[in-house]
Amino acid sequence: MVNWITSVKSFRWWLVAIVVMMVLPFIVPPSFLRICIMANFMAIFAMSWDMMSGYTGYVSFGHPFLIGLAGYVSAMLSHQGGFQPPHIVLPLYVTMPLGIAAAVGGGMLFFLPSMRVRGPYFSLISLAFLMILSRIMIAAGAMTGGDRGLTSLPYLVTGAVNNYWLSTGIMFAVAIGLWLVARSDVGHVLKAIRMDEDVVESSGLSTYRFKRFAFILSAITAGIGGVFYTHYMGSISPAGAFDYIFLLNIIVSTVVGGMGTILGPIFGGYFITFFTESTRTLLEGAWRFMAYSLVALAIVYFRPGGFYGIVHDIAAWFRAKRRGGLQYDQVT
Amino acid sequence: MTRLLEVKGLTKRFGGVVAVNDLNFHVDDGEILGLMGPNGAGKTTAFNLIMGDYKPDAGQISFKGQDLGPLQTYERVKLGIARTYQIPRPYHDLPVIEDLRISTVPDSITRCLRGKKRNIEEVEQIGIGVGLKDRLMKYPHELSLGDLRRVELAKSIATDPKLIMLDEIFAGLTVHEINELTELLMEKKKAGLVFIVVSHDLKALAAVIDRAVVIQFGHLIAEGTYEEIAHDKKVKKAYFGM
Repeated sequence: MVNWITSVKSFRWWLVAIVVMMVLPFIVPPSFLRICIMANFMAIFAMSWDMMSGYTGYVSFGHPFLIGLAGYVSAMLSHQGGFQPPHIVLPLYVTMPLGIAAAVGGGMLFFLPSMRVRGPYFSLISLAFLMILSRIMIAAGAMTGGDRGLTSLPYLVTGAVNNYWLSTGIMFAVAIGLWLVARSDVGHVLKAIRMDEDVVESSGLSTYRFKRFAFILSAITAGIGGVFYTHYMGSISPAGAFDYIFLLNIIVSTVVGGMGTILGPIFGGYFITFFTESTRTLLEGAWRFMAYSLVALAIVYFRPGGFYGIVHDIAAWFRAKRRGGLQYDQVT
Repeated sequence: MTRLLEVKGLTKRFGGVVAVNDLNFHVDDGEILGLMGPNGAGKTTAFNLIMGDYKPDAGQISFKGQDLGPLQTYERVKLGIARTYQIPRPYHDLPVIEDLRISTVPDSITRCLRGKKRNIEEVEQIGIGVGLKDRLMKYPHELSLGDLRRVELAKSIATDPKLIMLDEIFAGLTVHEINELTELLMEKKKAGLVFIVVSHDLKALAAVIDRAVVIQFGHLIAEGTYEEIAHDKKVKKAYFGM
């Protein structure tokens, strides 16, 4: 009974967030919802990056590889032109899981072996894979549409409101799933790996086993985001899927939100999306990115823990004041 | 006495430097062995080789009769070998209790996913056992060097080992802290733990060890009780140049 109450209590902020998101379509215009949809996808991508890089400290520059691979596989199999050859057009409920499987499989084939090397080597290898995949997609033009990519892809649902419900539902499902993993001992070990991998190994834990699990979760999340995003946009191209600004947005969302927190990247994803959208009419092109880079830098400079760190510190201060001292559950 | 750890012909080269050179020694069940030698003798390298942090160029290490060669570090820990680091390596963002808890987490994703804090009482007892009772909630930057060494010891105990290798465990400690730690080691020895202790503090070492091996340039130069090696000519030459 006590455990049940504790479980419900720990979900209370999720319930608040879900209620707020459910109310939104009734009080804001569709244009606002469209920004929310993009923010939901950015949050998913950022959580995916956080699960691997934020938790383990293995900074991936190749995350769009996973997202793009999932999107491309689903797009090629569901495109009206068909997979060339033999002109097979499959329904989305088949192509989307295949896209996610491709992200996991492709990632395990290329990325996972790279996790045996550390630091900048892993980051550079991941970047190389991203560039290679981008070139392959351009070269295999008959299947991928080359530079122009694939357009007129089937949609899952149409209209801002429907897409808002769908993207919000996926975002919450992914977020709660990853949050539960992060709260378990797995999350605890992954954070320890980020701090000192050798010491974790000396504690009798196979760091590779935990890193591999984090990577698979990250790839599944990236795959889910990739396929839903592709079929929301109705198109995919190398310039959109493998663009370095896309990669930058994912990383900045995570860092600004708070690395290694899962919840932080949701804040970060929303912040980056709304900031760039709201300044669209005020600043042009590069100036907009310059502005958001400065804001992100300022946040990280003054509060390295990002938004999550700020909220966490305030909450901890209130709890400490109420209880009159630091308690075990406040430091975990 | 049962032979617990056996090192035979162990050699490790770093480029042209031979850090450990055809080293042979053993540790028996129920004893505390001192691993001595001047700076750069290869003591820490020997620890790293036993833990599997480095791959040896030659030689064999066996524990409870099992060859450790093909095993990764975490597999050696599961067999019952643990270590502390010369410079304490706490997880800087974790309080002591959470730091210790990492060493009790099961090496299985499914078991890890099932629950959290289930082993907290066990961890508290280990912390209390090494004298960290009122410091379990503190972060590394709030601890003295002595406390950090206790954390190192507690982390190794938490892996449920048979053999613990203590690297410069007395370094930088006050006489009072050394006495406390000595008592603790003797207590753990009675409980069945075996230690290999590396220390430059010969006086502190003399109080705890049953036997010592002395190495120089990675090679064994003397072996025996503390009194025996203290009067050994090669040891005197290695330490004092006379």
